Amino acid sequence: MVMATSTTRRDRPEAANRLLAYFIHHLQSLIFSLGKIYTAPTTTIMTVAVIGITLSLPSGFYVFLKNIEAMSGDLSSSTQISLYLDLNINETVALKLSKKLAHQANVQETKFISRDSALLSFRQSSGFGKSIDTLSSNPLPHTIIVIPKRSSDRFVIKNLLNSLQSLAEVKLAKLDTEWLERLFTILEIAKRAVGIITLLFAFAVLLIIGNTIRLDIQNRYQEIIVTKLIGATNAFIRRPFLYGGLWYGLLGGIISWLIVELGYLAISGPLERLNLLYQSELDLVTFSLQDFIILLTSSALLGLFGSWIAVAKHLNQIEPK
Amino acid sequence: MIEFKNVTKRYEGGFEALRNVNMQLDDGEMAFLTGHSGAGKSTLLKIIALIEKPTRGQALLNRINLKTISKNKVPYIRRNIGIIFQDHQLLFDRTVFDNVALPLTIQGYRYQEIAKRTRAALDKVGLLGKEKAMPITLSGGEQQRIGIARAVVHKPMLLLADEPTGNLDPALSREIMQIFVDFHQVGVSVLVASHDLSLINDLQKPVLTLNGGQMTHNDLQPIVGYQS
Ligand SMILES: Nc1ncnc2c1ncn2[C@@H]1O[C@H](COP(=O)(O)OP(=O)(O)O)[C@@H](O)[C@H]1O
Ligand SMILES: [Mg+2]
Repeated sequence: MVMATSTTRRDRPEAANRLLAYFIHHLQSLIFSLGKIYTAPTTTIMTVAVIGITLSLPSGFYVFLKNIEAMSGDLSSSTQISLYLDLNINETVALKLSKKLAHQANVQETKFISRDSALLSFRQSSGFGKSIDTLSSNPLPHTIIVIPKRSSDRFVIKNLLNSLQSLAEVKLAKLDTEWLERLFTILEIAKRAVGIITLLFAFAVLLIIGNTIRLDIQNRYQEIIVTKLIGATNAFIRRPFLYGGLWYGLLGGIISWLIVELGYLAISGPLERLNLLYQSELDLVTFSLQDFIILLTSSALLGLFGSWIAVAKHLNQIEPK
Repeated sequence: MIEFKNVTKRYEGGFEALRNVNMQLDDGEMAFLTGHSGAGKSTLLKIIALIEKPTRGQALLNRINLKTISKNKVPYIRRNIGIIFQDHQLLFDRTVFDNVALPLTIQGYRYQEIAKRTRAALDKVGLLGKEKAMPITLSGGEQQRIGIARAVVHKPMLLLADEPTGNLDPALSREIMQIFVDFHQVGVSVLVASHDLSLINDLQKPVLTLNGGQMTHNDLQPIVGYQS
């Protein structure tokens, strides 16, 4: 009737089995913690929703910024550089230069405007026709319009401008960059603002998850005491709580992703129309796969970290009495 | 197995629950710990189970000093002990099987081994048919037997029981005590705190009596190398 019990060395599981059992236990706690979440749906849904909403703000801003940035990139590539050539450059040389520049890297195309055609169009458009006729010679230089490649960012354009300016034939290379600079500065500020918002909201998520796990620890006080008395290590007791935090973070991340995608759907109609109005070829974007992975990974890690703080603070204080 | 040399336990308010207690329980021995309520029985068991530390004197478990043991070794020492509480300390959100299997899960046994040993332990306490039940649906006596199964499932060298029959009727109490005697007969050291004197007399095992924190009666052999 009695089980074979002996006071000699007991048949403990051997090392390889222990390692396997260790991984199995990790898997079990992972699934068990998900099960806990499943069996306490109200609190879990509340927590996950709060985390999701909290995270949706910085991620929504991020997507917004991403679109603005794409739009500004589009604008910067629609800029052009006007090269006013030296007056003593003749038309053949100027035309040759224009063709040569068209083949340069970072240049989409060039347009050549001869001094004669420039004068002609000036005469027609300015209304100074009569007075221009009194001039003994044409005061306008040959002009080459250089259009940078679409993909060029502002540094590439700056470099291009400098290299064009240094050409011997070019008297003046002109790019109206002021408004672009302004736009990029605003973008830079917006990016930092998103950075700060992200940090603040990540901290909020940390607090939310920390508090949820703290309550979870309190609710399972008895269980913790009993398992400690039976010989559970702190690492063993910690594990399900850490995984619980991981799940909260991950599920919250998915919710925030859904919120942003839905928000995007809601505004994509008017945005599309705006796009048409400006005849921009811009495609609107949401999360890329990479963004999605980064969002979920960081929200899961936030959850893990938040629960880790709660566990470090509250779990080790619980000792059987 | 257990050695107490001049062990004094003073609780935080200054109350001395144990005073200069000396005792020795050899490997495979079984003894009862008796005394009035508040005599210090639970305190003595708690020192062995590393729940409390002695204030003065030496408490040894397998020659390991329980006062100076480091905190991270405590779980591994506890795995050599099976503890049974008067109030069972079961987890009511898990099945009988999961409750009993807990010590094995903690120690990283594989599932097949866990299942085998858990069924063996449940068989021993006569609850094999109830493994899928929730503890709350069982009677007090049955819950206590789950507690015993959980305490023995990992084959500890030492069983400690703190008033395991406190809430049970005489017939059930006798059954429970008989389970401890059975374990003793296969070589496990057993120390049971109880004030059920008639039952203790019937079982004819060594008795230790505490009175106001002092050991006034000791059937076990005097401890080796003790100087007063
Ligand atoms: N944590 C504690 N703090 C202070 N006093 C305690 C504590 N635990 C027990 N005591 C006191 O120590 C004495 C012995 O308690 P205990 O060992 O539980 O006795 P028993 O189990 O024999 O009834 C009692 O007077 C009790 O009030
Ligand atoms: Mg007691």
